[in-house]
Amino acid sequence: MSALRNRTIEPVPAFAEALERLRGEAAGSSGRALEQRNAAFERFQALGVPTSRVENWKYTNAASFANRPFALAPRGTVDSSLIIPHFAGGHKARRLILVNGRTIPQFSHLGGLPAGMTVRPLAQVLAETPELVDRTSVNDEPEHSFEALNRALVEDGAWISLEDGVALDEPLQVISILTEAESAFMTHPRHVIRLGKDAKLRLILTTVALGQADSLMNQVETVEIADGADLTIDRTLEQGQGRSAITRSRFVLGSRSRLQQTTASIGGSLIRHEMEARLRGTHSEAILNGLMMPRGTEHVDTLIRMHHEMPDCQSDQFYKTVADDRGRAVFAGKIFVHKDAQRTNSYQKNDSLLLSDDAEIDAKPELEIYADDVKCSHGATCGDLDPASLFYLRSRGLDEALARSMLTFAFTGEVLERIADESVEHIVRRMILSRLPGGERLAELG
Amino acid sequence: MATALETVREYTGGEYKYGFVTDIESDMAPNGLSEDVIRLISAKKNEPEWLTEMRLAAYHRWLTMKEPTWQKVDYEPIDYQAISYYAAPKIKERPKSLDEIDPEILRTYEKLGIPIKEQEILAGVAVDYVFDSVSVATTFRKKLHELGIIFCSISEAIQDHPELVRKYLGSVVPAGDNFFAALNAAVFTDGSFVYIPKGVRCPMELSTYFRINEKGTGQFERTLIIADEGSYVSYLEGCTAPQRDENQLHAAVVELITLDDAEIKYSTVQNWYPGDAEGKGGIYNFVTKRGACRGKNSKISWTQVETGSAITWKYPSCILQGDNSVGEFYSVAVTNNRQQADTGTKMIHIGKNTRSHIIAKGISAGTSDSTYRGLVKILKSAEGARNYTQCDSMLIGDKCGAHTVPYIEVRNRSAKCEHEATTSKISDDQLFYCRQRGIPEEDAVALIVNGFCREVMDELPMEFAVEARKLLAISLEHSVG
Repeated sequence: MSALRNRTIEPVPAFAEALERLRGEAAGSSGRALEQRNAAFERFQALGVPTSRVENWKYTNAASFANRPFALAPRGTVDSSLIIPHFAGGHKARRLILVNGRTIPQFSHLGGLPAGMTVRPLAQVLAETPELVDRTSVNDEPEHSFEALNRALVEDGAWISLEDGVALDEPLQVISILTEAESAFMTHPRHVIRLGKDAKLRLILTTVALGQADSLMNQVETVEIADGADLTIDRTLEQGQGRSAITRSRFVLGSRSRLQQTTASIGGSLIRHEMEARLRGTHSEAILNGLMMPRGTEHVDTLIRMHHEMPDCQSDQFYKTVADDRGRAVFAGKIFVHKDAQRTNSYQKNDSLLLSDDAEIDAKPELEIYADDVKCSHGATCGDLDPASLFYLRSRGLDEALARSMLTFAFTGEVLERIADESVEHIVRRMILSRLPGGERLAELG
Repeated sequence: MATALETVREYTGGEYKYGFVTDIESDMAPNGLSEDVIRLISAKKNEPEWLTEMRLAAYHRWLTMKEPTWQKVDYEPIDYQAISYYAAPKIKERPKSLDEIDPEILRTYEKLGIPIKEQEILAGVAVDYVFDSVSVATTFRKKLHELGIIFCSISEAIQDHPELVRKYLGSVVPAGDNFFAALNAAVFTDGSFVYIPKGVRCPMELSTYFRINEKGTGQFERTLIIADEGSYVSYLEGCTAPQRDENQLHAAVVELITLDDAEIKYSTVQNWYPGDAEGKGGIYNFVTKRGACRGKNSKISWTQVETGSAITWKYPSCILQGDNSVGEFYSVAVTNNRQQADTGTKMIHIGKNTRSHIIAKGISAGTSDSTYRGLVKILKSAEGARNYTQCDSMLIGDKCGAHTVPYIEVRNRSAKCEHEATTSKISDDQLFYCRQRGIPEEDAVALIVNGFCREVMDELPMEFAVEARKLLAISLEHSVG
């Protein structure tokens, strides 16, 4: 471990105390579940919290989390009127609501699911049939410190399973609410999503923070997309001051399967989204789109590992970034083409707008390629708004601020139009406009 | 100041010997690195006190440092205590004539059209001769001297121009910069020194190739080039022919400094022994090259064609400090068999309106790995900075790897950064087109690869460009079919 010594730091006892509390509560549950928690926690301690000396955390300082005494999130619920504005996917959409990482059945609407589709609180599944969770193919020993921590301290999450050939016509929305609180808290939700052969699902993942709090959401998602299955995800994540979120999504795709995800990580004290997609079957396709928009002192970080493990697959990464004030955005996308993955087509694009001299953009678009019959490319750009376009708008009577906002909004448009669900698109549009000076006037202009 | 000591040193700096073996045995340091060895090197070279101190400080720094492991190369651990840092202790039997040289290497010389005398030097054949270049070099030096240009070995410069060396040595690559730079600072034995005075445009390409006394001192080479206000120099490093070399580890440091309105063009063709097809032997080329554009409107341009060495680890960089300064990096890295190359550049934009341009072409064949690793950093002060980066990789065969690891860090909104990279295999259509017109497959590959690298080749000075083109073809022999 000596090599790791200055690359990681030891976490404060608060994490161990949280584990102790969960152990006490789960006195009645199976010994194996407890064993797994203990093993994961040991793993977390052995890995330590990464400092910026660890390559994958070069631009994002997670070390501060190790020193902060987060307690487990307070239980309870919120007034439904605070949740309703975040409904998306139309009135027929099914919904699963989580508050501070725990499912709230009375707010959820999961009636009339097709036969062969189950949506349950993960806590239930873990308590009754933990072997089901174990069986997911993305369940190996975590090499990732926050994933290990999640496994040690997970309380609940969404369990979504579709048998072969099952399709849900309407979207399924999972809304994750974080409440306000006096003292710092953390939550470690875990979502397990499994699509059987030729299954089809449109998923909307919404994360909302209400009011003020110092919180850390450390979420892990394991997503299996079997042969021929099709998963579409629209994801929004907007957190306020003091809010941090680390999300780690691991996708495994079978033959002829498809994943399309569009993410709007608008802002938060520290937002980190890691995605790992493994194309394990031939002729599959993975598309990851996203928008990051930090302002104030926000920090938004996206890390993608796209693994082409089999031939004839396609992937596309398309990320846009707008950094204002003292905001900082990080994009580290990597295309990894394994030895046998011939005839891979893989693209990556990251365009960034830097709107202030105090903002910062860091991009690390990587290619690692071991097969020769491939077409891979990446492009990254960074700059301010185009002066000619600005001049054009100014010459037509728009004031500087509005002209800038209009061009910035147009810049985000390419991501907006990739959002699959119209109601989510409207929500994201609103989120973007609310962050731009004169945004309400732009909204009126349509 | 060619003292007896100096002469001895010159001939003991490396492996190319003229029969002084018995005379110099007592001068050789034991294997390993210690304060005593460094003091010995310094004393042998009659160095001033400050330089000895500098070396020792670097050595102590080195002791606290770890060998970097982040680069994408694999090699057996190097035993730094098994190396002699002053004159190699064992002079191996050297070939007596070209007949004893690997015919493969001779064939390459032939293809490059190298005269027989030069072939002998390159192959390290122990013969007495008067090599034309020696006289050529002398003529050159006289002419340069008239213009006030200083072009000599760094050891001579330390003796003759200590004020210049002291002012600039280690100012671009400080001893603590990295593991290999620290090692170099502690033990460097020779290298080149160039000073171009104010307003002088150097009338010829300066080259290590013509500085015969330089030969075989390459293991821990130290190069320092200073272009004073308004001056210009083009410097060529290396040589297009494969060099027989006993040293496994090469840890050189190159520092370039341009003052106001000055320009340095630094071109490298590196074709050291890459090891055999199974990856045995070959040079580890761990080099730190960095240029500082200190003055306004200054320019540093790096061009490199890397075809040799078992492992290449180098990132020629530019610190763009002066307003309106320009940094350029043009690179072709070819790897075949089991070669590994991890190379790229760093462009640090500090001054206003600084510009940088990066073109990197990587070609991998056989079971080799080639990585572009680069950093473009635009600091807050770099108002109006501009960067354009293009990295293209070509794969020949399905057992090689090509990787791109760029870092882009932008802190000024008026800056514009563009980066693009592509990876693809050699085009079947283009190959077919050539084959259909009766061009043999290997020639066709060479043709296509040369086209792929053209943007970089065009940057090479004429003398190099012609041979570099041939070299590309030779490096890729047997990589298809």
